[in-house]
Amino acid sequence: MTVGLQAGRPVPGLPRRRKRIDALPWLLVSPLAIFIVGLALVPAAYTIIASFFRVDELDPPTRFNGLDNFVHIFQNGAILSSMGNTLLYVLVGVALSTLLGIFFAVVLKQKFRGRSALIAILILPWALPGVVEGIIWVNIWDANTGLLNSMLKSLNLIENYQVFLGTNHFVTVLLIEIVQVWQITPLSTLLILAALQNIPDELYEAGSIDGASSWRAFTGITLPLIRPGITVAMVQAVIATLNVFDQPYVLNGAAATGSSVTMQTYFVTFQNLDFGAGYALSLIITIATLIISFGVLKLVYRPVEF
Amino acid sequence: MDSTKKHLRSAVLVAGAATLALAMGGCSAGSSGASGGSDQTKNVTINVVLASDPPPKSELAEFTKETGITVKWTNLDWDSLQTKIAAAATAKTYFADATDVDWSRVGQLGKLGWFYPMQKYLKTSSLKADMPQLSSFTVDDKVVGIPYDASFMVTTVNKELFAKAGITTMPTTISDYTKDLQQVKSSGAVQYPLDIPFAAAEGLSTYWYQTTGAFGGTVLDKKGKPQFTSPDSAGYRAAQWMISALKSGLVSPGNINVTDSQGMQTLMAKGNVASVFSDYSGNVGSLYNVPDSSSVVNQVQYIPTPGADGVGPNLSNPDSIGIPVNAKYPKAAAKFISWFTSKDTQVDFAGANGPDKVLSGYALPSRLSAVDVLNSKGTLVGGDVLAKLLKTRAKPVFPEGAPSWYPQFSNSVYTNLHAAAAGNMTVDAAIKAIAQTATQLSSGS
Repeated sequence: MTVGLQAGRPVPGLPRRRKRIDALPWLLVSPLAIFIVGLALVPAAYTIIASFFRVDELDPPTRFNGLDNFVHIFQNGAILSSMGNTLLYVLVGVALSTLLGIFFAVVLKQKFRGRSALIAILILPWALPGVVEGIIWVNIWDANTGLLNSMLKSLNLIENYQVFLGTNHFVTVLLIEIVQVWQITPLSTLLILAALQNIPDELYEAGSIDGASSWRAFTGITLPLIRPGITVAMVQAVIATLNVFDQPYVLNGAAATGSSVTMQTYFVTFQNLDFGAGYALSLIITIATLIISFGVLKLVYRPVEF
Repeated sequence: MDSTKKHLRSAVLVAGAATLALAMGGCSAGSSGASGGSDQTKNVTINVVLASDPPPKSELAEFTKETGITVKWTNLDWDSLQTKIAAAATAKTYFADATDVDWSRVGQLGKLGWFYPMQKYLKTSSLKADMPQLSSFTVDDKVVGIPYDASFMVTTVNKELFAKAGITTMPTTISDYTKDLQQVKSSGAVQYPLDIPFAAAEGLSTYWYQTTGAFGGTVLDKKGKPQFTSPDSAGYRAAQWMISALKSGLVSPGNINVTDSQGMQTLMAKGNVASVFSDYSGNVGSLYNVPDSSSVVNQVQYIPTPGADGVGPNLSNPDSIGIPVNAKYPKAAAKFISWFTSKDTQVDFAGANGPDKVLSGYALPSRLSAVDVLNSKGTLVGGDVLAKLLKTRAKPVFPEGAPSWYPQFSNSVYTNLHAAAAGNMTVDAAIKAIAQTATQLSSGS
């Protein structure tokens, strides 16, 4: 029989030893904690508080004004119109980037020659700044000298060059969002591909023995098991599309047909110098992001265990 | 359970300490920036931030040798620059020792006191006679920036395309100008002879102001009240003329998404249009006659603005440079500005003394004396016309200075005129919406 000391319990008769605090974990985590607190939590708290104040450089001093900033926002036609546009950006962007992400992930899961190179090429649009993408696509959509018009005309599909952006509200939003989808789809693809690669081959083999077709295997095995990956991809698409700025600004200027809420936030804050309203708009975007992301989580996410 | 509580408490402590540290850091950064700056002018490095390429290294080195001031130059695009100026000034933190003061922001800047009055460092009264556009940067007798170029809006025509349509005498009235453009179109010289940048951006607003000036009016009165609501007013007729030009095929339908600079570079410089009614002064020399960027070399000329009853005005949109109140070395910055806007430097930048001294993209000196030197040396393309226009025709868009709410007003102008061009609203509705914005803003509501 072995007699030993029970860990953590003081031994009668011996002086009680002070418990040493292991500082290393705190030390390791502190840079990240400072980073998050300083760059996310403090500004977020400041934004929440300041959104209830009149902070206007042209109308000092800063003073509490309750919900006035929010009331003015919901009375501003340009901002309301941009909210409608942004909702469309979210619907189109999240749907397209998710569907394309699933498609490309399934294709890239197959083993074929040049797969690695294809993945590298696929990531390129994600690495490009939004402004650069906007400029590239201006040369495609442009109504005077654009590539699309040139192609359609050379194929005899149109007689004269067409104006794609700026005339029809929905078409404008759709074409601008295609540019953003081109940017965000690579990340969706990689997230879904990661989830896809976790699925054990045995499941497909079992399905095959049971006579499941490829489509049945996709709907019965693949889709349910990549739901966590799809959820993350959709949430990142929600965040990106709710904050779309560069693409509509470069492609369509400040026009109401494509203006987004973040563009309005920029105008209100840095053109009009009404920082209070800018804080309130930012807060609205944040709350909308949280609500929609939570909705996606509830609708799409299901825990998966292999 | 106890352990969890302890961890939680420690985590809160760490977060609290970090927050405090950051808040203190933020406070100290803010307060140090607003210390008033140093009067030191020897052996200092100043930051100059402009939406422009830097002067040649040899020129800056010469300035450093003369003054002991080293210049660190940052070239930022105009939009980003304005955002940074506003963000830094609001946070009362250092951003640059000398930076851009745009004519359209003068009202805001005058009210906000974000820039030092230049009278504090330079004898601005002696500059007035030589710099006609200094008045564009004067608010309540305070000069917030010194103009370094003399940009104003001017009509350009491609004389070869006009000649193809049988037009050799340039129009002097807007009705003759319109007829000539129709003639160019019907001759087949080009499908769409006129460039109007209908993209919802600042260039559309300035185009409308210039056209309004040509029709013999102004956009706002001294108190900021709209002067364009009546269908007989110059502003209304100008908007009507611009939209009619689009609807009648003088302007390409695709121009609803063309910005001012894009139109000049991809349409006028490529011979796709025959005229720009509101072009940049200096574009003939710096864009249309540059073979690398143009296919219409030696074809484009400036003409006096065709107006309602004869030659119209040329509205100014110059760039200037000022000293933010949070500058570290304001006195050194003032020395730099004095050098940067001096006659000799401007003559060098404009290319009169060889290509090594040229400031890339520099259009036209802000000093009449520098323009005269260039003109006499024959190095300023269209110099005789430009010098005459600068002396006699150039005038500020807002003679009393741009109102402090100008950016909001301009946003309303370009979004509504764009919507009218895109067919999403009538000209009348667009004018009413712009007028409503101006009325609200000028009444302070």
